[in-house]
Amino acid sequence: MNRLVPNIWGKATAALRRSPQFSWVDAVVLLALMAVVYGIGRTAQQWTGALRPSVEIDLSARALPKYTLFSLTRGLAAYVLSLFFSLGYGYWAAKDRVAERVLIPILDILQSIPVLGFMPGVVLALVAAFPRSNIGLELASVLLIFTGQAWNMTFSFYHSLRSIPLDQQQVATVYRFSPWERFRWVELPFSAIGLVWNSMMSMAGGWFFLMISEAFVLGDKDFRLPGLGSYMSVAVARGDKGAMIWAILAMAAMIVLLDQLLWRPVVVWAEKFRVEEGSAGQAQSSWFYSWLRRSNLVERLHERLKRSSSAKETRERSEVSLRQRASRQWVGKFVSTLLLLAMLLGGIFGGYHLFVLLRLVSAAQWKGTLLSALLTLGRVLFATALGTVWTVPVGLAIGLSARLSRLLQPVIQLLASFPAPMLFPAATAILAAAGISLGWGSVVLMLLGTQWYVLFNVIAGASAVPADLREAATSYHFGRSERLWKLYLPAIFPYLVTGWVTAAGGAWNASIVSEYVTFQGKALATVGLGAQISEAAAAANLPLLSASVVVMSAMVVAFNRMVWKRLNMLAETKFSLSK
Amino acid sequence: MSTPGQVNVSAQPNSALCEVRHVSQEFPQPHGQPLRVLENIDLQIRANEVVALLGPSGCGKSTLLRILAGLLVPTRGEVLYHDKRLEGLNPGVAIVFQSFALYPWMTVSENVEAVLHAAGLARVEAAAQAAQAIRTVGLAGFEEAYPRELSGGMKQRVGMARAFSLNPEMLFMDEPFSQVDALTAESLRAEVIDIWTSKDKKTSSILIVSHDIKEVVYMADRIVVMGAHPGVVKKIVENTLPRPRDYRSPALLQLVDHLHDIITGIEMPDVPAAVPETVTIEPLPPAGASEILGLLEYLDARGGQEDVFRIASDTQREFGTLINVVNAAEMLDLVETPKRLVRLAPEGIRMVRAQIADRKVLWRQRILTLGLFQQVLRAIERSSEGEVTKEFVLENIVLAMPLENYEAIFETFVKWGRFADLFDYDEEREVFRTFSGSEGETRQRQSGTG
Repeated sequence: MNRLVPNIWGKATAALRRSPQFSWVDAVVLLALMAVVYGIGRTAQQWTGALRPSVEIDLSARALPKYTLFSLTRGLAAYVLSLFFSLGYGYWAAKDRVAERVLIPILDILQSIPVLGFMPGVVLALVAAFPRSNIGLELASVLLIFTGQAWNMTFSFYHSLRSIPLDQQQVATVYRFSPWERFRWVELPFSAIGLVWNSMMSMAGGWFFLMISEAFVLGDKDFRLPGLGSYMSVAVARGDKGAMIWAILAMAAMIVLLDQLLWRPVVVWAEKFRVEEGSAGQAQSSWFYSWLRRSNLVERLHERLKRSSSAKETRERSEVSLRQRASRQWVGKFVSTLLLLAMLLGGIFGGYHLFVLLRLVSAAQWKGTLLSALLTLGRVLFATALGTVWTVPVGLAIGLSARLSRLLQPVIQLLASFPAPMLFPAATAILAAAGISLGWGSVVLMLLGTQWYVLFNVIAGASAVPADLREAATSYHFGRSERLWKLYLPAIFPYLVTGWVTAAGGAWNASIVSEYVTFQGKALATVGLGAQISEAAAAANLPLLSASVVVMSAMVVAFNRMVWKRLNMLAETKFSLSK
Repeated sequence: MSTPGQVNVSAQPNSALCEVRHVSQEFPQPHGQPLRVLENIDLQIRANEVVALLGPSGCGKSTLLRILAGLLVPTRGEVLYHDKRLEGLNPGVAIVFQSFALYPWMTVSENVEAVLHAAGLARVEAAAQAAQAIRTVGLAGFEEAYPRELSGGMKQRVGMARAFSLNPEMLFMDEPFSQVDALTAESLRAEVIDIWTSKDKKTSSILIVSHDIKEVVYMADRIVVMGAHPGVVKKIVENTLPRPRDYRSPALLQLVDHLHDIITGIEMPDVPAAVPETVTIEPLPPAGASEILGLLEYLDARGGQEDVFRIASDTQREFGTLINVVNAAEMLDLVETPKRLVRLAPEGIRMVRAQIADRKVLWRQRILTLGLFQQVLRAIERSSEGEVTKEFVLENIVLAMPLENYEAIFETFVKWGRFADLFDYDEEREVFRTFSGSEGETRQRQSGTG
């Protein structure tokens, strides 16, 4: 008994000693919370506001934070949607073998389809559904960003679930974890690191679609939303160079801030879920995370959360009988089958209507569509090739030097996340001034958007070349050309393929807004599938629009299966570095 | 690079092919002083001999090999090749790597031909020489195979073929058989010596780096025994046993024994511990508490003492790791180490016979005799918040032992302290706090009160 008192007394005095120390970190945290509350209020105002025929942008620098906030909200809303989608879809596909056989190929196709092909259709439909307020347009934007973010996260979650080590799963079974406990203590932690890294990639990819949807103009219909993308396009239209620079700076600042204040701390926190014994190459550190840990407010919140979520008293664990468990599984299977049937019916229904629509397209139009498709394919491949030509030497130079890659890493990350479509209006103006036809200009625009994926991957590959192979090359007097062809290029080949796949996919998406641009009120277009899609949407020619989108999707998927999958297989067998 | 087919006849029978003089090597560390890996090394590689660098891991032998090969420029000292200062890569050297270093996208013959192309040979000649080398190492028939299809031993054969194909003046081997299974390693060693002693041998000398004593005695003419922290040449032993050597011959086993004595003399010195006036801070050997306790249990089961090499082979631990455990146990006065024996000390006997709870108490007593633990404990007690940061402890380590690997010492410090219930270490916030756990309960259980 007399041991208890000093213990409690000690703990109480310790707690009391801490509370008056209200450090300035706590002040910052409070301010941030207040800013978030204000931001939410302002955004809600925008979303429920009246639909305007054309967007009104205030080009002063003071209005920039507002527009940045709007863009940020759309990106984050789409991310939250993607997260819940990946958790649900991935869980379903991982747990149900029958469903898996349908869901994963669907996901594969969804990942390959250039979703921007659907953008004109989706925007038109949603605006028609909500004719009086902004919600339709905002939803369309969020939906589009979602389609750019969701797939890789879903794949990552699905793969993590399927690769949980058997012994960890068996612990959960033997100790009779409930499904929720299993999800919370085994499955979610195991997938945490993959989800975090893929979230970072998704957010970065999301900016691309955000900028495009915010600056979307279709013929004489103005679908632009107030945000950084529209700010930029209005600035270009008015020739306001100062405003353009401010916009670019704001975008860069948003990316950097999000990275420093959100992603880096989460990555550092998620390190505790790492399963392999060795730590990830470089130790991750985040100044913001260390800062937050020193904040008393955050710590007390944390403790309160922990206390509320843990059991107050030992509860009787209800023995789930075998019969109950069997019936639970039966219900699960029933729901899953129902959902699959619903998807199937929806697919058949949609397919039927699509078929009816396509029958309205004449043979000549089909021929024209196929020709345009080939042209665009040529542009996509040409843009990827051009990008490769300069990114491989530069990427090798950076990746092979530890010092350079450390120095330039933040810059490269910023460049990879920075949405090139934001620069499209300016680039179009320059191309038009130089008198370059859009046939070639669109290649430049595509290049602008997608070369960074290749660069990023080449740098990653170059920094992963095993040290002993480099040492062997040095000790055996390999010349520069030999080193390049016998060591570096083969070693980065798998990464190069990944870069190509991502770049080509991005180029297909970009074709819709690079082969058809609105410049000084006029619509410029070249012969190509992307242009055809945009023109069909502008003229509300639904049959042709559907036909073009179908052809584009089919072409991308076919190219994927025939070319990229083969290259991937080659990379995994012949060029794989894991002996 | 000597052109293939010529032996460097201008070298005198025992003149040095390459040599290091007063070479030291340091690597910079983020905190504190640079890590001194090699200290004042003088070594010659002469013609027609096999030299071995023997020592525990971390003694810098691989670093020394790379300095001799010209892959590393030493922080101090000079490297000579045929009595001239070496600039850049050593032209007379071909290296066989510990991890094989084969290019996975090239077949066996392509891997070998690649280095011949790099040496300037025409395609036809390169192909012929490569084929010859592949035959010599016994891989005829595997020319079109990819490295991933080969076993470890076969991969190393390719590495050897690659090196031999150049007919190098000196063959450097960096722990070449440590990642190959024991039986294959035995046959590979014999093959290397066979190739080297064959009539038309082109390679003059071999330098092999190893931590395996038997391997070294089997292969080498001159054995350079190195010590660690920092790496120095402790002794050079001449091996005059005639070839072919037999692993079980008494003469070989005697030499192995002799080397064992030398190594324990270096690594477990019998110098009587001077009673310190003030408590000094010593580097903690990287050994866990459970390993040390395991050693005590082992000794207890064998009557209280055992030969250190017997322990190594019984427990199948690498010799260097075992030495760390023994030194740690000795530092805590749990064992004594006369010559090659490890013997339980009275404190060690008490620890072995005790129950788990008491072991922790005894362990706590033992580590509190070490300066570092005393300092940190005092700092925790004196601090107003009752906590001390990781940075503080690291600084103490670095200041007291500037030439050591402070990260490893820190990790050992945390392990020992946690086992002793000396403190709580919060890894996320990187602070040490006074122990707040069930210490009261353990004492209650002991004293029988509730």
